[in-house]
Amino acid sequence: MSSLRRDTRFLLATTAPGVFFIVVFLVLPSAYLVAMAFLSNGAYGLPTPPLSLQSFRELAGFGFLGWSPGNLYTLIRSVWQSLLATAIVILIAYPAAYTISRQPARWRPLMLLAIVVPSWTNQVIRSVGWMNILAPGTPVSDLAVWIGLTEPQMGLFPSQFAVIVGLVYNFLPFMVLPLYAAFERLDTEQVEAARDLFASPVGVFRHAVFPQTLPGLMAGTVLVAIPAFGMYVVTELLGGGKATMIGNLVARQFVQASNWPLGAAGAIIMIVVTLIGLKVLRDLGRRLGGDREVLL
Amino acid sequence: MKGGALHHGLRVFWYLLLVFLYAPLAVVVFFSFNAINSSARFAGFSLTWYEQLFSNDEIIAALLNTVFLALTSSLIAIVIGGMLGYGFYRYRLRRLSWLIWLIYLPMVMPDIIFGIAEMIFFIAIDRSLGILAPGLGTMIIAHVTFQVPFVALLVNARLLALDPQLFEAVQDLYASPWQRVRFFLLPVLGPAIVSSFLLALTLSIDDFVISFFTAGPESTTLPIYIWSAIKKGVTPEVNAIATIMIGSVFVVALISLFVQRRPSA
Repeated sequence: MSSLRRDTRFLLATTAPGVFFIVVFLVLPSAYLVAMAFLSNGAYGLPTPPLSLQSFRELAGFGFLGWSPGNLYTLIRSVWQSLLATAIVILIAYPAAYTISRQPARWRPLMLLAIVVPSWTNQVIRSVGWMNILAPGTPVSDLAVWIGLTEPQMGLFPSQFAVIVGLVYNFLPFMVLPLYAAFERLDTEQVEAARDLFASPVGVFRHAVFPQTLPGLMAGTVLVAIPAFGMYVVTELLGGGKATMIGNLVARQFVQASNWPLGAAGAIIMIVVTLIGLKVLRDLGRRLGGDREVLL
Repeated sequence: MKGGALHHGLRVFWYLLLVFLYAPLAVVVFFSFNAINSSARFAGFSLTWYEQLFSNDEIIAALLNTVFLALTSSLIAIVIGGMLGYGFYRYRLRRLSWLIWLIYLPMVMPDIIFGIAEMIFFIAIDRSLGILAPGLGTMIIAHVTFQVPFVALLVNARLLALDPQLFEAVQDLYASPWQRVRFFLLPVLGPAIVSSFLLALTLSIDDFVISFFTAGPESTTLPIYIWSAIKKGVTPEVNAIATIMIGSVFVVALISLFVQRRPSA
């Protein structure tokens, strides 16, 4: 009995500080943010009583001038850009992870490090790098003009293209690492069996490789698609207002102090879409037969 | 020879990938030595931007803030997160899944919402109680909050990889709690603690969004400085500051490579 009580005390002592930090400095603030969405917008954009659903109406596009679909477009664009970036990331990460897993064991940690190191530099700096590369007048931009992809003087930045490049660049390592882990555990006998049965390379991939790497793919998709949806820095710097995502919309309501309740309502939508995304990916992973729980 | 063609193709792909990954960083470093303020034309090597940078008090203050924030928050986070990871390990059989959910929360929450929630919370506390005014203190709190889960998971994973009998052996030998920590936990968890410290450091230095929203007027960090310089359209020294930050990341990368190569790790 006393040992059980001592155990409980020990459990409390070890976990309390961490739980305290997360509850007091994350759960409480989030609850406050959620509550704010149901208040009215007072002077200086600060929330005041009475309770209302005004900010959700406003977010849905109902304003002084009737209905406008701007915010709805932003939401759809956020989902679309996040999915597009994820798809491109998958296309790059698969061969990358495969290549690494084929090398002699002593090279692999170094190759993984080569993939990961750029992502350790600050997001803002990485975006500055892409701004430098894609700005009007740079060789890459000149090439794009020459091919006819873009107008002279325009450059490739700021644009939706630049945002997608930035997103892919940002999240690539989060796909390569779980895929590499899956390739490393790959049962090569299955692959050889498929080859012996005269499967085409596509067939080998589809029946022997893909099912085995699916857990890694699902984990990577969660790590890429979800944070890409909430991206702020890349869109703000590389999009130049041309490819605003919902994170930018929300932040603008707070930074320029125009309308906190509206921003809070946007935050709720972001959380809801994030949770729906997690659920969809989890169900998809189960349906496709991923044998491991994906992150949650 | 189909396999040969595939192999060759993958090799080319790998080098293209490296170009993609390192070009943005290389461009920043390259143009930080440019004699003129341009990122399209290189007009000769010069250290102008570095001289300008080191005579700019605002940047020096931002640099010190960045380092102080990263070191302080990481130290607090490895203590708190380490304890959390250990507590979870010891009591993994109890019904703790709701707690694990709580730990995942900071990792899946969009950082923009994390930052904004903390900002409005700190402002409200400051208004009503007069404490926690936005500044370095609130930034440290915010950073610790997002670092703790990563540290806890790393430490927990390390403990799960150990032979459970080790814990029984330590108990059988009647080690006092302090002896357990000193002669068993710290040596065993050493590499995990070092790597979670490095991870916490890079998380802190990499973070812009959460810092941006919890910062006060006196607590500008380097990323925040770069951000506002770009927004104002003043960018001459930005490449130089960025180069210094890229350089320090590569130093940390080398250290981590060294730590991983050690046989004990």
